[in-house]
Amino acid sequence: MATEDTSFLPGPRGISRRRAIAESAAATLAAARALSPVLFVGCSLGIRPRAKTVPVGLLHSQTGTMAISATSLRDIELHAFEQINAAGGLLGYQLEARAPDPRSRPAMFAKRARQLLEGGVVAVFGCWTSTSRKAVLPLFEEYRKLLFYSVQYEGDESSKYCVYGGSVPNQQIMPAIDWLTGPDGGAKKKFFLLGSDYVFPRTANFVAKKYLASKDLRPAGEVYLPLGHLDFTAAVQQILSSGADCVLNTVNGDSNIGLFQALADAKVDPAKLPVVSTSIAEDELRNLLPEQVQGHFAVSSYFQSLDTEANRRWVEGFCNEFGSDRVTGDPMEPDWCLVHLWKAAVEKAGSFETEAVRQAFRDGLEFAGPGGTVRLDPKTQHCTKYFRVGKIRADRQFDIVHSSDAAIAPDPYPQIAFPGWSCDWTKDGITRGSEVSINGDL
Amino acid sequence: MSMDFSWIYDVPPSRLALLLIVVFVGFYWAGLILLRPILRQFVKNTRNANDIIGYILSCFCVFYGLLLGLIAVTAYQGVSEAGSNVTREAAALSALYEDVSRYPEPYGQNLRWLLRDYTRYVIKYAWPLQQRGIVPEEGTIRAEAFHDRLLDFQPRTPAEEILHAEAMRQLNHFLECRRMRLFSVKSALPASMWYVMILGAVLTIAMCWLFDMKFITHLVLGGILSAYLGTMIYLIVDMNQPFRGDVSITAEAFETLYRRMNED
Repeated sequence: MATEDTSFLPGPRGISRRRAIAESAAATLAAARALSPVLFVGCSLGIRPRAKTVPVGLLHSQTGTMAISATSLRDIELHAFEQINAAGGLLGYQLEARAPDPRSRPAMFAKRARQLLEGGVVAVFGCWTSTSRKAVLPLFEEYRKLLFYSVQYEGDESSKYCVYGGSVPNQQIMPAIDWLTGPDGGAKKKFFLLGSDYVFPRTANFVAKKYLASKDLRPAGEVYLPLGHLDFTAAVQQILSSGADCVLNTVNGDSNIGLFQALADAKVDPAKLPVVSTSIAEDELRNLLPEQVQGHFAVSSYFQSLDTEANRRWVEGFCNEFGSDRVTGDPMEPDWCLVHLWKAAVEKAGSFETEAVRQAFRDGLEFAGPGGTVRLDPKTQHCTKYFRVGKIRADRQFDIVHSSDAAIAPDPYPQIAFPGWSCDWTKDGITRGSEVSINGDL
Repeated sequence: MSMDFSWIYDVPPSRLALLLIVVFVGFYWAGLILLRPILRQFVKNTRNANDIIGYILSCFCVFYGLLLGLIAVTAYQGVSEAGSNVTREAAALSALYEDVSRYPEPYGQNLRWLLRDYTRYVIKYAWPLQQRGIVPEEGTIRAEAFHDRLLDFQPRTPAEEILHAEAMRQLNHFLECRRMRLFSVKSALPASMWYVMILGAVLTIAMCWLFDMKFITHLVLGGILSAYLGTMIYLIVDMNQPFRGDVSITAEAFETLYRRMNED
């Protein structure tokens, strides 16, 4: 027979309901009190607080004709960010890279840059071609954010919102002409100017022509072909028929594959007709056949084969992270320096704000990079650069055959080409000289 | 307005299990103290009330247990399928890497570099995002870069034609698996399932409140049942999203592949 549970009823056989409720409530409250730190405080649940992040844009073509070169810039920037993050971040923030793909198209650069800027990035490292840089600069000026540009370029430009890490003509083109016309370079007299048809080659060659003229020399010829063009047969015939004794090559991207193929087909001997390239580094050499390029030259601020302890450590660090067959080169090294100069400026400013960072530039910042110490010139927002000449080896590396004694100060407006022009961002900005037409005839 | 419970996945598994058990047991005990006297009014004059409640509860538990079981299996299958996709993607990537290693230089080296870059991205950047329930986007760029570069190659010999055709086939397989992985990042049980599951748990507990038994026995037996309900819910929560929680897919397949790529 089932017995009814009367334990909750008042009476001698059980405790009273009121007492039971009171005791249970007291027990529940005690339990809740004991567990409340666990229940109501997130960190007590073991939730690790997420690291604070700050978005930084990386604007490099990862597909299309410039991907061959530009992807390595993205990699070295990621490598630098990873190191900074591993060391605790920047001002307590982890750097969060945002790297959309502008697909080697200037219009896409502008679109992607706007997306990044509207997405709240504090700075952007990016661009390879001058066309892409010029496509995005107005946006950086509009949003008042800094673009860090690490590729060697033509000069004739200075933006308050751009920091330039690559060589300008007085750090690359003009010393190259000095070297070629000197005894070490073979005392060349007949320069053929060959380039891709866009801003950098045309302006760089404009400066080259002015500089040659100052030495009473005239180019033996000048040819431009579209970016991405691969058939250089006719151009090489023009070079050969011009009687040139050297070629100043400002061809960019994988067009160089077609150029050196055509030179090899025409059996051009580098000892007699050396091609001196401004935009070929170790990364580009991996796409060129060694037998086609061996013996030709490249002018640059940095080569992987630079024999210093700092460089060896840097190369080793990059290869450990990205693969032992990866290579470093210019503009990877300037790019690395730019990231660290920005880091130094942010730390000095104690802020990611553009104006505070620019203010930190004013006292001059230095960074001991793998290629030597670079200094950011606050007036021009360009960097000091070493000038080096490398002779291409069969193992896709360079023998450094010449190096400047010291880093060369930047001059984005060499007076020989842009008389009256100068800039000083610590004072009034750009001083305008007379208008200069770049596309003049020979 | 939907509530965001994603913080649950940031709680370490043992603590999450404990939290759910405490919540369920606490709910049972609180209801026992506060609601039971009211609910008991409905059955107080019914003869053999415990038997009737017990009978209904067992019928209910059959359906509810079945539901929980099916949901747990569904959640596990979700994790399992996503895991298979990840393994297949890594295997396709490995096969593709082998194929392009046979390409003439410089194509072979460039293609290998691009695949290594993709793998590194998946491990270092995509996986942490997936673990936060975010679909990583930049891997697509890397896959496209590889696709573009592969299409640049023009076979010159019959052997190269065969190799290229095989690489293209592997690439398509790899892209398919990759897409499946990305789809599964946000895959989870639909909200309606959660509503039914939680309602079922509440009703089970509410039915237990109706039992007439010693208070302390009520606390213990009901507490045990609630604790087990909490454990079941924990298991389902943990398996709900394939890349989140304790029962989730790791990047191990890619890590093994990346180590091998770097050894080559």
